[in-house]
Amino acid sequence: MRRRGTALAIYAIAAYLFLHLPLLILSIFSFNASRFTVWEGFSLHWYSAALQDSQLTESALNSLIIAIAATAVSTVVGTLCAYGLWKRNSRPLAGSLYLSLVTPEIVTGISLLAFYQWIFRFLRVQLGMHTVILAHVSFSIAYVVIVVIARLRTVDATLEEAALDLGANEWQAFRYVTLPAILPGIIAAALLAFTVSFDDYVITSLVAGVNSETLPMVIYAIARRGVNPVVNAISALIVVGFGALVLVSERLQRA
Amino acid sequence: MTRLRAWFLAPTWTAQIALFLAPLAIILGYSLLTRGVYGGITPPWTAESYQRLIDPIYLAILWRSFWVAGASTALCLLLGFPLALFISRAERHKNFYLGLVMLPFWTSFLVRTYAWMFLLRDTGLLNTALQKIGLIHSPLPLLYNDGAVILGLVYGYLPFTVLPLYATLERLDRSLLEAAADLGAKPWTALTRITIPLSAPGIRAGAILVFIPCLGAYLTPDLLGGGKSVMIGNLIQNQFTTARDWPFGSAVSLVLMAIVMVLLFVIARGEGESLL
Amino acid sequence: MNRRHFLFGALAPVFLGACSRDRRPHLNIFNWSAYIAEDTVPKFEAQFGVRVRYGIYESNEEMLARVAGGNSGWDIVFPTCYMVKPLLANDLVAPIHRDLLPNLPQLEPRFQRPDWDPNLNWSIPYMVTAAGIAYNRKLDPPPKSWADMWDARLRGRLTMLDDPFDTMGACLKKLGLSVNSADPAQLERARAEAVKQKPLLRAYLNAEARDQLVSGDILAAHMWNTTAQQAMDSSPNVGFVYPSEGYAVYPDATVILRESKHQELAHQFINFLLRPDIAAANALTARTTTTNAGARKILPPDFRDNPTLYPGPEIVALGEWAITLDPATQRLRDRLWTEIKAA
Repeated sequence: MRRRGTALAIYAIAAYLFLHLPLLILSIFSFNASRFTVWEGFSLHWYSAALQDSQLTESALNSLIIAIAATAVSTVVGTLCAYGLWKRNSRPLAGSLYLSLVTPEIVTGISLLAFYQWIFRFLRVQLGMHTVILAHVSFSIAYVVIVVIARLRTVDATLEEAALDLGANEWQAFRYVTLPAILPGIIAAALLAFTVSFDDYVITSLVAGVNSETLPMVIYAIARRGVNPVVNAISALIVVGFGALVLVSERLQRA
Repeated sequence: MTRLRAWFLAPTWTAQIALFLAPLAIILGYSLLTRGVYGGITPPWTAESYQRLIDPIYLAILWRSFWVAGASTALCLLLGFPLALFISRAERHKNFYLGLVMLPFWTSFLVRTYAWMFLLRDTGLLNTALQKIGLIHSPLPLLYNDGAVILGLVYGYLPFTVLPLYATLERLDRSLLEAAADLGAKPWTALTRITIPLSAPGIRAGAILVFIPCLGAYLTPDLLGGGKSVMIGNLIQNQFTTARDWPFGSAVSLVLMAIVMVLLFVIARGEGESLL
Repeated sequence: MNRRHFLFGALAPVFLGACSRDRRPHLNIFNWSAYIAEDTVPKFEAQFGVRVRYGIYESNEEMLARVAGGNSGWDIVFPTCYMVKPLLANDLVAPIHRDLLPNLPQLEPRFQRPDWDPNLNWSIPYMVTAAGIAYNRKLDPPPKSWADMWDARLRGRLTMLDDPFDTMGACLKKLGLSVNSADPAQLERARAEAVKQKPLLRAYLNAEARDQLVSGDILAAHMWNTTAQQAMDSSPNVGFVYPSEGYAVYPDATVILRESKHQELAHQFINFLLRPDIAAANALTARTTTTNAGARKILPPDFRDNPTLYPGPEIVALGEWAITLDPATQRLRDRLWTEIKAA
């Protein structure tokens, strides 16, 4: 058994290296003075270029606003839905949510684009931040429901019954008994929704409008033109940013 | 409870109907209409788009997507299983190990695909390093082929197999393995005859979580495939942009969804504990 | 309670930021990437006291998909000439009022009455691109014709454009046919040529090929002259040639969208673009050929005589303007392109 333990451990190290090295290398080369893969000295040149590019900073801000708004809405809606489904399952709703999860992104994106174009025939509204936020809410809810329901399954249902016996109404039972118990799950779900929203390219690129260009869209446009160290710099910033976010969420969940 | 529950479920129902089911219905409608003169849709209603699909070339594209998605899924399961095993057997720091697996996932998928563009090109790190060591004399064409696409997909979706496999392995009854050892089974036999079969639910969940997104993949083949092959995701995207053939694109989308639903039914059938 | 306060605290500045808005008139311009001089928009904003939102796209189809709904929010877009008709057919274009464009006579004579819009009712020519062959000087002898792109020497070191019109156009030209061919038999032959070439290809790439050409990873690339010029700017190792069999030419045009609520301001911007000094600056930055005669006169001599962007008359004569294809031909070409890609 011990020999196998060591073999597994070695494999695990190799697997972790596989997962992390590419990003690490990407980040290291973001400090490379030259744009080629030959190391030519340490430089923050690409970072200053990235931060000075108004398109990049504006799109990053857009991504942030969209992600925060979509996360807020989808977390609330998704949590309520998860609770409702936990109380008593609804096969149609669960089925619909599951379907939306497994629908390929490209299909979700074009269907939303077609939907918006139909709405706009009647409602004279334009593509913009709100269309992107709505799209993100639509695909995030399912993720939130999954995470929160998983957490709900670890909660003892009899606790709420006890609360009801003691005179609380349903809302109070939810609010003061169950909700605090699942809060770590809600935070984890919010983090997931935020990540999925911030990262999305396919759906966003199809439904974005004039002033709602997001960071992935800009990164994709740059990457399409070839390897560019500015993308390395942005990637490193994103990795650090999300690492920090995960740490914060861990703290919140434990608090 | 019913009234509160109804209120709780209402927002999600609204979102699902307005932002998911209605758009799908529109796409269904589009798939049965005709292509407008220079794009868009017009009457008459026709099933022509679906008839066009029954054509060797589209079947070839479908087959290719299956093969790429299948290879990626198989590799993800193969690579993910030992890692999940390791984490489930670790005595301490399990959450740390899990977090380490998930960390790349929290960064952008686009960034992770770009990382491989950076590493695999001719003047990229892999080729430069190999040449420096002297293993090769001129750069290997590592980028712009199916292998690069599969690598990119595996890299992007590996965490999706590790998590469900870990969840199943963690709940494995250790006493079964002890009993097997007592009966004289070698570790390898215990692994293949007990551990792996008992982790079937995890394997199924992981397979679903990887195969379906890979089937409809669009970004990775676009950036790493060099445009030399067509997967379903590219085909759909192409119909809505370059080809401006919305009805046909809609038809392909719906067929893809139908395939996904059939797969789910086949794989997840008999799953006692569903995802939701 | 702490967590809730934290969340509200995080959200508040976001909403506050989203509320403050600019009071100046807006103009939303959607253009190709890297297709305008850096100071053109700021100069326009300053002179007319407006705020411009400038978006970019990488392909006509991307632009069309965005504006097709008639509610995209964009005022001005820059379609390639063959996209003007589809935009018109979908009722997306606002008419041009020539009296609002006093700088119109600055255009070169052949662009005063272009094929796609003889009376300039709907579009005003902007700049011109053409597709040819860019090569790394390591390749000896350098390529001279499309046929050279089928040379087995180039195996794995060759790219073609990821664009159905361009690549099929190159095949058609190799066969001595027109890039705008609508003949199914001819198109089938072109498809066969593309499939024959595919094993030699490294990839179908657009601008991504530029860096690889400079570094020598690839030796020859099917490339637009503007991209090639950018490559040549960064390295003397790159050359460009217009193939001897002929090549496709793509004038771009400025178009005002029917949905625009700032039609007059849009006209003023187009007029601004027609100023010789502005047009010259745009052409210089984008490394393209200008349609503006006045601009051409004031371009610096080494740019004006640049053979890649301003070739001599005998080469200009080999160029063929791309036209809008009829829907049936478009369908056939799409189908053939899918076959080529899937081969």
